[in-house]
Amino acid sequence: MYLLDIKNISKSFGDLQVLKDISLSVEESEVISILGPSGSGKSTLLRCMSMLEKIDGGSLTYCGETAVSSESGTPVYANKKKLKEIQGYFGLVFQNFNLFPHYSLIKNVTDAPIHVQKRGKKEVMQEGQALLEQMGLGDKADYYPYQLSGGQQQRAAIARALAMKPKMLFFDEPTSALDPELTAEILKVLKELAKEKMTMVIVTHEIDFARSVSDRVIFMDGGLIVEQGKPEDVIDNPKNERTKAFLRKMQAE
Amino acid sequence: MRKSSKTLFALFVAAVLIVLPLQSVFCFALDNDDTTFVVGFDAEFPPYGYKDDNGEYVGFDLDLAQEVCDRKGWNLKKQPIEWNSKDMELNSGSIDCIWNGFTMNGRENEYTWSTPYVDNSQVVIVKSDSGISQLSDLSGKIVAVQADSSALAALTGEDATEENLALCESFKELQQVGDYNSAFMNLESGAVDAICMDIGVADYEISSRGDGFEMLEERLASEEYAIGFKKGNTELRDEVQTALLEMLADGTFDEIAEKWGLEESVCLSAEDEVTDESSDSGKDESFGERVLDIAGQLSKGLLASLSIFLLTLLFSLPLGLLIAAGRMCKFKPLQWLVKLYISIVRGTPLMLQLLVVFFGPYYLFGATLSSSYRFYAVIIGFSLNYAAYFAEIYRSGIQAVPKGQYEACDVLGYSRSQRFFKIVFPQMVKNIIPSVTNEVITLVKDTSLAFALSYTEMFTIAKQVAAAQTTIMPLFIAGVFYYVFNFIVAFIMERIEKKLNYYR
Repeated sequence: MYLLDIKNISKSFGDLQVLKDISLSVEESEVISILGPSGSGKSTLLRCMSMLEKIDGGSLTYCGETAVSSESGTPVYANKKKLKEIQGYFGLVFQNFNLFPHYSLIKNVTDAPIHVQKRGKKEVMQEGQALLEQMGLGDKADYYPYQLSGGQQQRAAIARALAMKPKMLFFDEPTSALDPELTAEILKVLKELAKEKMTMVIVTHEIDFARSVSDRVIFMDGGLIVEQGKPEDVIDNPKNERTKAFLRKMQAE
Repeated sequence: MRKSSKTLFALFVAAVLIVLPLQSVFCFALDNDDTTFVVGFDAEFPPYGYKDDNGEYVGFDLDLAQEVCDRKGWNLKKQPIEWNSKDMELNSGSIDCIWNGFTMNGRENEYTWSTPYVDNSQVVIVKSDSGISQLSDLSGKIVAVQADSSALAALTGEDATEENLALCESFKELQQVGDYNSAFMNLESGAVDAICMDIGVADYEISSRGDGFEMLEERLASEEYAIGFKKGNTELRDEVQTALLEMLADGTFDEIAEKWGLEESVCLSAEDEVTDESSDSGKDESFGERVLDIAGQLSKGLLASLSIFLLTLLFSLPLGLLIAAGRMCKFKPLQWLVKLYISIVRGTPLMLQLLVVFFGPYYLFGATLSSSYRFYAVIIGFSLNYAAYFAEIYRSGIQAVPKGQYEACDVLGYSRSQRFFKIVFPQMVKNIIPSVTNEVITLVKDTSLAFALSYTEMFTIAKQVAAAQTTIMPLFIAGVFYYVFNFIVAFIMERIEKKLNYYR
């Protein structure tokens, strides 16, 4: 069983078709990086997977449960309750963190488990503190987001997503708002998560990052998956012309 | 640096040298022109002085003044004044006299007077079907008088007769109103039961408003009208007096009286001698005592202003949130309705809105207004007005919360209400504190607009005291009260702002 099964999804903004018939399956413990030039549709794909955007066609299945089914071409979303349940299967880490500025770090991490999942406060607080420590923020529990560096904020955002105990984590360009040395911090965290067998889908344009952390690399362009495979194949021996062009350009920078 | 400051100084000196003489030329042209005679009058006091259907200022007194000017070769300037400010106008020299059915009785020492030319009485007007037929029927009723009018003086003034004081005691309430038009609106809508006023005005009002009103046979007091000049200005008084007597001698005076239907009331006589009272009586209170006395009177009004302020905030702050929700609602008709509401509230004067809220129920639905509705109308009017402004402030505050905050909530599974109350609302509050502070401070000052509904708050009292004591000190003291009030408000808002600075 796939943790996430995407079949033939499409998405348009007005006249602009951003995703054209994309299919993608994610296995348990798999780490997938999605690469591609800006405008290729990689972020939109991730937002559709996170259900922040509604798809125009195709189907979405999480852990065997259907969130969106395709009935004669038009997508049908499951009922609210079901979607809410499915939403608990995954977490999303944003490019610019989106921590709640008026909450301390510990409250950012524990508020949703307590008030959305209705779990015991004591248990959640202990887990939250442990997660912050795991992210190297054990002494910052009472700090507010503005008092932290970008790397620290992003690690707190990852802790917030993990506190919901998701089965998989999605990352939307998690390092593009960060300086290079802070990027390394996040990479380290992702590698640790991969070691713990966390299933992850990461949209990025850091090629080294993709190479060092992922089991599979997907290259997108023009709303289509152009090439996919092991990092050493796609990144070091690309077959598609567009992949080659993109990689040349990125490495030239 | 030094050079430029020198140049600036030179420019400044040059500017002063040019402007100063110009200014004195203007002063001369405006104030020291011997041939312009400025008559101050209340433009809502027919038939003595008012605005006719063509928008011209006309009336018995203005015709008399015109005739005097024609004879003297002066230019008449008709200057409508706010009745409560008449003493400031006269003392500052912006008008030369008050010539406007101006009652002498009780004010003998405060002005230099001509001889009386109209004998007038105070009468009571009621609705025809009210069942009130004599003065004793007024017991337990609400009676309106114009603020600082001779009817008010006849009922409550220092020179009021025993009978009048007892009569006034028997009223349920004596309601002061700003002008006769609003008095009649109050009477018609049932907010008051009767109006006391001068007979000349009463005759005019009843004949022009048609049926529905009647005058009681019994009268309150007799009194006389004369022209009031600034105290000590006997020179101008004598000139006008001479011209008036000439007009009386050649019959012009009676002609004008006839034209205005006042032939029964006029009493100008060549035998009357002008009186010149000199010493001021009852002014032995020290300055400090007077200030304390005035402050004491104002503090009663301050309580009324404070209750308007607090109740308006209590209702308009939450109501604004509802309106903001309607404004941002995806259901278009509701959004348009709320947009229209906000645009009307912001596009029309608050004073007009207060009048509509108070008188609307009667004029639109024929509902009879109770006197307690006056206060409710003030609160409703203010709350509806401020809620519209707060709604727009909330909207801007909500829109300033980044979209990412909403997305983070959605991904974490927060419900819509959790998202709003836990995440968006607290951030909105922080965003809007400076704009809200502005509105709240404006509200403190706007409470004075309650006078439009004759609700006696601090500024109304200040104007009444100022008129009664012929000094502008109460207005200054009211200003100090408002300033202190706002100083406290600003202090509190600053504390709140600081408290919310725990995050950025």
